[in-house]
Amino acid sequence: MFSTKKSLIAVAVAATMAAGSALAMSSSSGGKATEAAAGKTDGKWASNYREIIKESGGKYLDREVMEKILGKDVNSLRAKLDPNNPYSFEVDDAIDGGPHGNSQCKVPLAFTEVRDSAEKHEKADYVAYGYGKPIAESAIKPWEIDVNGDGDGFPILPDDKYMTVEKGGNVYVQFCGMCHGEFGEGAKGYLPLAVDEDLVTSDFRDPAPMKTIGNYWPYATTIFDYVRRAMPFWSPNSPAIGDAGYYGITAYLIQANGIPLDDNGRELDDEDKATPQVVMAANKYMKNQGNFFCDHRPITHNKRCMKDCPDYLVGDGAGDIHHYREARKLPDGTLQYNVNQRLHETPPGIGHKGF
Amino acid sequence: MTDKRVEEKVALPTEESRNQSRRAFLKGTAAVAGGVLFTKAASADYDPKKAVAPYAGKKEITEPLKDGPWRHRLGFGVRRYPYGQPTPEVSYIQRRTLEWLTPDSMASITMTPLQYLHGIITPNGLHFERFHGGAPSIKAKDHRLVIHGLVERPLIFTVDDLKRFPSISRIHFIECPANGAMEWKGVQLNSVQWTHGMMSCVEYTGVRLSDLLKEAGIKLDKARWIIPEGADASGMSRSIPLEIAMDDCYVAYAQNGEPLRREQGYPIRLVVPGCEANMWVKYLRRIKVSDVPLQHREETSKYTELMPDGTAQRFSWYMEPNSVITYPSPDFKMQGPGRYVVRGLAWSGRGKVAHVDVSFDGGRNWHEAHFTSPVLDKAWTRFEIEWDWDGSEAFLMSRVTDETGYVQPTMPEMRAVEGTNNVYHRTAMVTWRVHAWNSKNKGLVENVQY
Ligand code: HEC
Repeated sequence: MFSTKKSLIAVAVAATMAAGSALAMSSSSGGKATEAAAGKTDGKWASNYREIIKESGGKYLDREVMEKILGKDVNSLRAKLDPNNPYSFEVDDAIDGGPHGNSQCKVPLAFTEVRDSAEKHEKADYVAYGYGKPIAESAIKPWEIDVNGDGDGFPILPDDKYMTVEKGGNVYVQFCGMCHGEFGEGAKGYLPLAVDEDLVTSDFRDPAPMKTIGNYWPYATTIFDYVRRAMPFWSPNSPAIGDAGYYGITAYLIQANGIPLDDNGRELDDEDKATPQVVMAANKYMKNQGNFFCDHRPITHNKRCMKDCPDYLVGDGAGDIHHYREARKLPDGTLQYNVNQRLHETPPGIGHKGF
Repeated sequence: MTDKRVEEKVALPTEESRNQSRRAFLKGTAAVAGGVLFTKAASADYDPKKAVAPYAGKKEITEPLKDGPWRHRLGFGVRRYPYGQPTPEVSYIQRRTLEWLTPDSMASITMTPLQYLHGIITPNGLHFERFHGGAPSIKAKDHRLVIHGLVERPLIFTVDDLKRFPSISRIHFIECPANGAMEWKGVQLNSVQWTHGMMSCVEYTGVRLSDLLKEAGIKLDKARWIIPEGADASGMSRSIPLEIAMDDCYVAYAQNGEPLRREQGYPIRLVVPGCEANMWVKYLRRIKVSDVPLQHREETSKYTELMPDGTAQRFSWYMEPNSVITYPSPDFKMQGPGRYVVRGLAWSGRGKVAHVDVSFDGGRNWHEAHFTSPVLDKAWTRFEIEWDWDGSEAFLMSRVTDETGYVQPTMPEMRAVEGTNNVYHRTAMVTWRVHAWNSKNKGLVENVQY
């Protein structure tokens, strides 16, 4: 059930490539194709990418420069997922700790300006001005509220302080239910926290899927970190809830979202204790964890066309400039935006409500 | 001196940018004498009779001019407004929000009225705002900034301490990655304020983050990320890779010359030029130097982009190049056929804007616009192009190319790869449909989407 990040991404990439290469093909059929890059063999990028970028005056996202470095198929994300590819935001699994580790991304090597400038500032000699005051790490503790994807930063409580998941559910209902619904279904327009919607929609006009903890969030640690730092909305980081209470709420949300704790799919029982161990167990089995990938942009690599541009760049993408989409209509048949607003009969801001 | 001016006069219209409209206008007249300098030839282009030709046949005003009452009465005194206010007549120039965008006004957004702004600087009172827990009223004297984690010497600073450091002032745009988010599935809003107003551009002054991190003795061999955090109710936090932190980030205490406004993080905020506004943590109180990212809610649940196949892009820090025509735009109505100076804004999170091209025919043909403002790194750039509108239906688009060579895509291209469930980074071109002058909607400008 839990495919690794890389294999899932490969599927995603194949789908994205299908769309991307369609564009690439129409682009080369529309104009003269660039000559194959020198020093670039199939499946490998040019190792002298720095020189190529420099020669181009720093145009690292120019189509021709990218072709020289990546080869003709610059739309191929497959190569970009290789952490050694200069255009890749990805880092090696060995660094991020595998598919369920604290995943990392990086600034691509091809972003030479950023990297050079950072390196310059890193290397420059610096002697402190001495305007600050030294402070002990222990004195910072009350402000150190972050719990990262590895679970670093969890407060450790005496064993008898942890509450049961059932009790955590009560705390949740008391402090959170009025806005997020008793079972995390959402209320009063506030975000639902446990809705298991499919993340793929069949029609592009369908409402975007609800992204909640179970179907979307990649880390369980984020539940504790975020809820303790920012919820309940009107009185965040509430002493009335306390760390034990926040563990209780976190465990309840893990349970409500049906997140398993082991390979056999065991879920939390009401009598289980809400501990950091429970959060870390769930952290390994977040359903959607493997579906995230580092920034894959730029998604297009157009040339700057000035005259008689090919159809795929014109109007609806097939050359028809009158085939535009009308504004969406409300059930009463009026346009979704307020037409009078455009004529200054009503000021901007008086839009339609409630969708 | 004189010669130089003549040369400029000749050189300007030879630019590709202005040829199109100029030529159309000058049709039948002598061509520009490009290259013939230091002679009277340049002034031969200017014929006062020809210059006023467009006024021919227009009714002349004959009623004598009258004084307004302000000509005969004193105005208000210099001490009336110790802090100047916009003139009441322009009180409609406001930040505005859409009630339905968010369920709670304490976690919400207001947008900048781009259609009414000029130049590249957003006045402080019109800077867009996005809160996740209201805007706190923190006094600078009570505020502290802590830098700790992978450093030799954890340090704490007052705001006054920070002001003692060498400072830098830069003009940068700041843009919410959700700018334009409402337009993924089709148009639903008809004002530049709604389609692009989740951004502003101001001058920030502050201390280089690289200086502050080195002040604390950052351990560069281990450090990979910095985790900034706010002092407000949301405890806003993000993970910023060290390269970006050491490149050009800074901790700002001033905005357009005065202290930051509360809405923008008073007393201090992080400035992360070119990157998602969400990373520019306001009310900054702690920076942790780490070897791993935090996986905060704002980089997992939010600010990640859902793709059509159900996968999601994360850590999408940079704001891609983008542009918009602010005039004519859906906020204005055409005044009849004739010459228009089309103007707009272009920007890129990866550096300077290199070209802006404008199309009047839905993307088939493009004309290079010229810049009317300084062209700065990761800042708004103003462009203009002259257009002779013949009154027929037109489809206006602007397309930016930045100094990295990236060319702004069309919406169909972006949709083909990213679908429409994405929410963030909708940076494709928008299209303004200008209704024909002789149609029912007489010169209406409408937001349409391909
Ligand atoms: C007054 C209503 C209110 C209450 C009470 C409340 N929340 Fe929230 N919650 C919000 C709002 C508003 C947001 C969105 C905040 C933002 O935009 O940054 C939110 C966001 C969240 C999120 C992030 C959802 C996502 O998909 O990113 C979680 C998790 C959450 N709340 C949990 C809780 C928990 C647990 C409690 C109880 C301790 C709680 N909330 C109490 C209003 C509320």
